[in-house]
Amino acid sequence: MQPANEKTFAMTINGRRLTANDGESVLTVAKRAGIDIPTLCHHPAIEDFGSCRLCLVEVTKPEWKGWQGLMTACLYPAAKDLIVETQSERVRHVRRNVLDLLLARCPESQVIQQLASDYGVTRSSFTPRADADLCILCGLCVRVCESAVTAAIATLNRGRRREVGPPFGDVPPDCVGCTACAHVCPTGHIIFTEDKGVRTIWNKKFELLRCQKCHEPLLTVEQRDHLLKTRDLDVSYYELCPGCKRQRTAETFADVVLKTHPHFVPKQMGGSSGIPTVPFVQHKEVRP
Amino acid sequence: MKRLIVRPTECTHCRNCELACAFYHSGVPTPVGPHVIEVRRVRTVPVPLTCLQCDDAACVHACPVDAIRRNEKTWALEVTDRCIGCHACEQACPFGAMYFREETHRALKCDLCQGRPTCAAFCPTDALRWAES
Repeated sequence: MQPANEKTFAMTINGRRLTANDGESVLTVAKRAGIDIPTLCHHPAIEDFGSCRLCLVEVTKPEWKGWQGLMTACLYPAAKDLIVETQSERVRHVRRNVLDLLLARCPESQVIQQLASDYGVTRSSFTPRADADLCILCGLCVRVCESAVTAAIATLNRGRRREVGPPFGDVPPDCVGCTACAHVCPTGHIIFTEDKGVRTIWNKKFELLRCQKCHEPLLTVEQRDHLLKTRDLDVSYYELCPGCKRQRTAETFADVVLKTHPHFVPKQMGGSSGIPTVPFVQHKEVRP
Repeated sequence: MKRLIVRPTECTHCRNCELACAFYHSGVPTPVGPHVIEVRRVRTVPVPLTCLQCDDAACVHACPVDAIRRNEKTWALEVTDRCIGCHACEQACPFGAMYFREETHRALKCDLCQGRPTCAAFCPTDALRWAES
């Protein structure tokens, strides 16, 4: 038995001896060591779910008498003396099967096509889904929204009719229009549009707040209110666009320069200034 | 502790730093690439603007997933792969030093090039310097 206070231990991945910490997943340990395991539904900020089945690896232990299990690397906890194979023939075989199924579900997805061709699958052996979209039902968008924003979307229905969307397929009442779901979606299924200061996502239209100086569209009113409720910054942080904030900062610094250098003349290149006319200078070696 | 020292009095507004920064962040030499340093001329003073690496930063406060973390070696705040792309930090930064890259779906900010700032290396007048302070 492993002593309860043991926080770091050694394990093996692809024959390499690696140090792992208690509570880490096999995927985390492999990633840190630069060992590539394909994933679609994994995101470092969100609790893993194991729905895409791409990160399947073979795990065994010396005391298991040769038994080798296929486990999702994102969910399987690292353990002392665990032996993991990420590219064995059995692993590659099941990944090919998974990709074969994913390719039948989303034949148009470039991400799936690329991954599948990496594993030698160019055409699905199953019948491709009729009027297929790009959703692989990994649920990453749902989990991101739930853990970081407002849990505005969920998976609807069951079996073949299962899909991701707002409750009852209606306009989502809790959505704040932050577009995080669209940005984390591994296949680019979730899309949003922005036109004339109106953002549309999940069929909900959001009037965007505008910069108080230049009237550039900023974030949605709902997102700002959500941030005010959940984070400890006050409303003045969300009034100007980044460009106007930079201008404000530049003006502050320029005032300091003009105050401390009353006869300030900006430096110019060339002439007797000692600064080369051509601004491209030899790269200077800067060591940390 | 080394810091990125910015001196507007030495700046010639050549914008070499912007080019170098875009090259560092995108890998292609493009003037329209994603750069997190910008030089603005205000009342004849050219001011190079980049992240101030605040001690108590608004971006860190705004992030719902704790994705912006301090690199203890360079003291830079870095956007980690925890970023979910919600734009909260970009809107919260009071200096406009937080950017967003659509290609990577992540926020982009100055990470001091992991302790070797490219902008300082390419500044012809030492308006940007990476030096002990």
